Amino acid sequence: MNAASRFLRSRSLVITVAVLVAAMLLSVFTQDRAQSALGQAVDTNSRGLYDILVLPKGEGTEGQTLKQPDYISGTGGITQDQLEQIRSLDSIGVAAPISLVSKVVQDIEFPQLKATDYVGYNENIATYLEQQNITDAVPASEWPEPDSVLSEEPKNYRITAKAVTSDGVNETVLFETAAEGSLGQAKLEEFDVPGGTSLRTVAPEGETGIKFPDPAGGSAHGDFDVTIALPMLPQISETVVAVDPAAEQALLGEAGSFLEPLAEAPGAAGRGAMELGEEFSSQMTPGLFSGGTESADIDGHPFAFWSPFVMQYQAAMEAGTLTDESQVIPMVVRSGTALDLTYSVHIEEIDDAGNTVADVGTVSKALGEEYLPFASTKPFQLRWPGGEDYNKLLGSGGVQVVAGLHQPAQWSTDFVSTPEYVAGEANPDGSVGQTATPQGWVQVNKLPEKTQQWQLEPDQSQRAPVNEQSYRTSLEESGGAAAPLPFVYGTFDANAVRDAAGDVNYLPLGGYDPTPVTLTEDAEGNAVDPVEMKPGLSGAGLSVQSAGAITDYNGLAAVRGTSPDDAVIDAVRVKVDAAGSWADAAGRIDATAAAIKDLGLDVQIVAGSAREDVSIYVPEYRQDASGAVSDLGTVSQSWVRQGAASAVQTSLSQASSVLLMLTLGGAALLTAASTVAFTRARRAEAVTLRAMGWTRPKIRSWFLSELLIGAAALLAVAVIVNAFSRTMTTLLVSAVVMVIYLAAAFISTALLKPHPPADTGPQGATGVPLVDSPVKFAARQLSTNRFNTGAVAVGVGVLGAAAGTLVAVILDLPRAAGSTALGSLALSEVGGVNIALALLGVVTALVLTLITSRFDLARKREQWDILEAMGWGPGLLLALRRSEAGILALMGLPLAILGAVAASLAVAPHAVFRAVVAGVLAVILWFILMTRTRK
Amino acid sequence: MIEEPQTRAEKIGRTADHAMPLELRGITIRYDGGGGEPLVIAEDFDLGLEAGTMHCLAGRSGSGKTSILTVAAGLTLPTSGEVLWQGDSLDEMTDDEIADRRRALIGYVDQGGALIDGMSALENVLLPAVPDQQVEAKTEMAKDLLDLVGLGRRMRHRPAQLSGGERQRVAIARALILGTKVLVVDEPTASLDREHANQIIGILKDTTTDGIAVLVASHDQELIKVADSRTMMN
Repeated sequence: MNAASRFLRSRSLVITVAVLVAAMLLSVFTQDRAQSALGQAVDTNSRGLYDILVLPKGEGTEGQTLKQPDYISGTGGITQDQLEQIRSLDSIGVAAPISLVSKVVQDIEFPQLKATDYVGYNENIATYLEQQNITDAVPASEWPEPDSVLSEEPKNYRITAKAVTSDGVNETVLFETAAEGSLGQAKLEEFDVPGGTSLRTVAPEGETGIKFPDPAGGSAHGDFDVTIALPMLPQISETVVAVDPAAEQALLGEAGSFLEPLAEAPGAAGRGAMELGEEFSSQMTPGLFSGGTESADIDGHPFAFWSPFVMQYQAAMEAGTLTDESQVIPMVVRSGTALDLTYSVHIEEIDDAGNTVADVGTVSKALGEEYLPFASTKPFQLRWPGGEDYNKLLGSGGVQVVAGLHQPAQWSTDFVSTPEYVAGEANPDGSVGQTATPQGWVQVNKLPEKTQQWQLEPDQSQRAPVNEQSYRTSLEESGGAAAPLPFVYGTFDANAVRDAAGDVNYLPLGGYDPTPVTLTEDAEGNAVDPVEMKPGLSGAGLSVQSAGAITDYNGLAAVRGTSPDDAVIDAVRVKVDAAGSWADAAGRIDATAAAIKDLGLDVQIVAGSAREDVSIYVPEYRQDASGAVSDLGTVSQSWVRQGAASAVQTSLSQASSVLLMLTLGGAALLTAASTVAFTRARRAEAVTLRAMGWTRPKIRSWFLSELLIGAAALLAVAVIVNAFSRTMTTLLVSAVVMVIYLAAAFISTALLKPHPPADTGPQGATGVPLVDSPVKFAARQLSTNRFNTGAVAVGVGVLGAAAGTLVAVILDLPRAAGSTALGSLALSEVGGVNIALALLGVVTALVLTLITSRFDLARKREQWDILEAMGWGPGLLLALRRSEAGILALMGLPLAILGAVAASLAVAPHAVFRAVVAGVLAVILWFILMTRTRK
Repeated sequence: MIEEPQTRAEKIGRTADHAMPLELRGITIRYDGGGGEPLVIAEDFDLGLEAGTMHCLAGRSGSGKTSILTVAAGLTLPTSGEVLWQGDSLDEMTDDEIADRRRALIGYVDQGGALIDGMSALENVLLPAVPDQQVEAKTEMAKDLLDLVGLGRRMRHRPAQLSGGERQRVAIARALILGTKVLVVDEPTASLDREHANQIIGILKDTTTDGIAVLVASHDQELIKVADSRTMMN
């Protein structure tokens, strides 16, 4: 019988080696898959829109790898010449500059309350439709009868206007103002004019109208409604950023198509505000703008939003602010606003004494989606409850022209700095909590300095000022050119821009992509349902919204009066011309960064970065009516973690490798213990061979050759898995497995003494207690078969230690993955595979331990038969098996606990306790399975 | 070698109290032939074993002697038929009840003695007393029994240190420790020389004088001769 036949005959040896072989194949395959998934996840998600962020000298903080999203503040520092030098480098794909141009404080036009008071079709309407050449109006025969929400006789009303803003958590009432007066149905009145008569719509006799305090106007009747001017909304701060539209489009790809109108805007020479204003105004002949305004243009200036432009031009001309040097500022403006501002109107019918007679109702409107900075597509109107808007009868002639803003908007270079934070202690996963630094209170909720129509100073005392905490200091820059005249070229969706900035590989675009903050804990540290914080009115709070408008660098020069030599560029985002993942492009990116640094600029390599949600504590956030100041709590905001890709790949690869090492190392150790125990059990065979005249070396080589068949099988599998995996980890693990198994083979043959067991003489008459219970019986048997007992106990200990360590590694995965979005994504990709690998390790260890435990089963079964014949019942035999397994478990437990503690201290100190629990549970599981063994 | 009856009665701690402690009725033992013909070990086998008698199941190896013994000792179930201990059918007992009754009634001596390794002769003899926690109470009796089978000076020795005959005698002593009424013995002399075989035969014969019924399986002609009755197994 050759060695291979003898090896195959030894079923237990074959099974243990087969289990080890299966474990090697499965675990290497699994680990390889985990590595592959990890590499793919990291490579796909770690190169954002740009690779290098270039900042002015001294702006790029060295040594900090966690970057807040705000990095432009209007202070500039990079010249156009430096930008061109960057662009001239060979490896530059895109170099996109960005700057903060201005802060604009603006007022929305007066809100209006429209009360339906339709006087019916009349000659004035017919004349209007004819003069304006409006062809899509409802035919005269189909116009309805007059309709009104008002009574023929004027009634007294009290109208209360209220504006409330919310930061997402707290509401602040900005003002609540009431006005009283009487309103009634308008009448058509014919009056004489030279050459005939004319119709006019007049208020009913006795009507006082309703007038809110200045600067709000009063009420006026028209053919369709009574319009009541409401108190103004508070001033709103917006920012304008400048980009190079072509470069920005190249950076954003398809997402940058909104910049196309800006890219096609005329150069500085074609932007004279006076000429353009005059030309547009002269084009306002009847019917010109009744249709097709979306596509038409004048000398490259689109007609979209022509109305606010012309009206602002006319207002500026009246104010005398425009000069020959004034230029239009082409802008793409943000759609909507993140500002949570609700305007409501409560209407009551009252008697002469002011007592409420009837509650007419409340209507409200949020600033919301219809709002456009620097323009308005629709007037900010609320409609009296129950009324219908009959303006629609006019067709396109019913579209109301709006000025957009109350004039003049205040353009300033009163910029604010980026917030300052104080970093806390680093958490185990590398995340660092921050604390925002309050910079002082700023007052908001003011009225404009001048009224629109009379140029009078409004009574500011009609509104209580509201204090908002500022987390950004003032960075006022000197300068300023001739008054700019904004010209809206198009709109952009802030959320779409944010999406374009990336998710996992998020890189802030710089001022026009929103960087929301979300409240996660209150000031007491209690978790709250996440609430996205809304920006305040000052624009200097922690939460700010996307810039209100984007212009180009000609626009910046026009607003700020700068020359081409001025260092007005805040930052340059550079995309290196290198294909592939961050790792593929790393060399070229590093070289490019070094070359840019040589130009005297600071560079931050952001290829391989990832988004990280940072917890920020916000102190001294709110001031109540009594002046008491309270903290906000903890908010979360997406920042950028540099080097995340490398860190995630390294740490998760290490975790995966450790799992492989543990799985196969543990399996190899158990197989080795099994081999030694099994070979020892064949001592009788060795004795027989010795009796047949075999020499001791011959007997050893006889057994060793048998074991080397197992080693050969393992070697073959090692070759296969290394050919498949081709990693240093697999090679190392394979070598460790081979070394352990070969060591076990040599040790077991060395321990195989071909002599009968020595007769140790009779038991002492004293000192050895009689066996009088299953426990003592089990203890005696285990002490009698010390070698086997030791092998099983070590096996149980290794099982517990392996289970504990594997659990520790699994628990440590989130820490190893880090706190970045890339880490979370990578973990979601490989976490399951790693858990499968850990489970495979535990199951392999359990199977091998059970196999080792069963080597002595035949002898035990004989004993159980003997005991049964002596009248030991099933219960007692079960107690015996439990005692035996229990003693073995107790013997293995210290090794399990110590092993779990030692290994988890090395790989995951924070998981020691849970590792120990897992180790103990594994031992308990082994105990349960052992005592379930059928007799 | 064996002490006088007065001492013996005290040593084995019992007296005969049932006329027919073991009865086998219509026992058939049949094993599935694995696809071929079923193997019939015994068919419609009857046996009534009276107290104080020795019955020998004789026959060549493989004739089914051991199978009958294990059925008689309640260790295996017959294919059909009934086993009665002191008139009570095992069919009506649970496994635990059978174990309890066996302990009180049957002393089983396996072929070769079947001692537990690692435990001294004395401890082996006392093993049946473990379930009732009577080890301490029975220790002196165990020593007496070992004296009785001639091993009083080997009681601290373990099985590996005993000869085949000695192990067989320890097993008999163990079977008697709880005042057994039926001794079921499988091939007690099979691997012994004549001298040691005769010692065992003497011990077994002596136990019958104490009212113990002995059911023994053997192909030893000396043992077959001394039995009060015998059945030839084919």
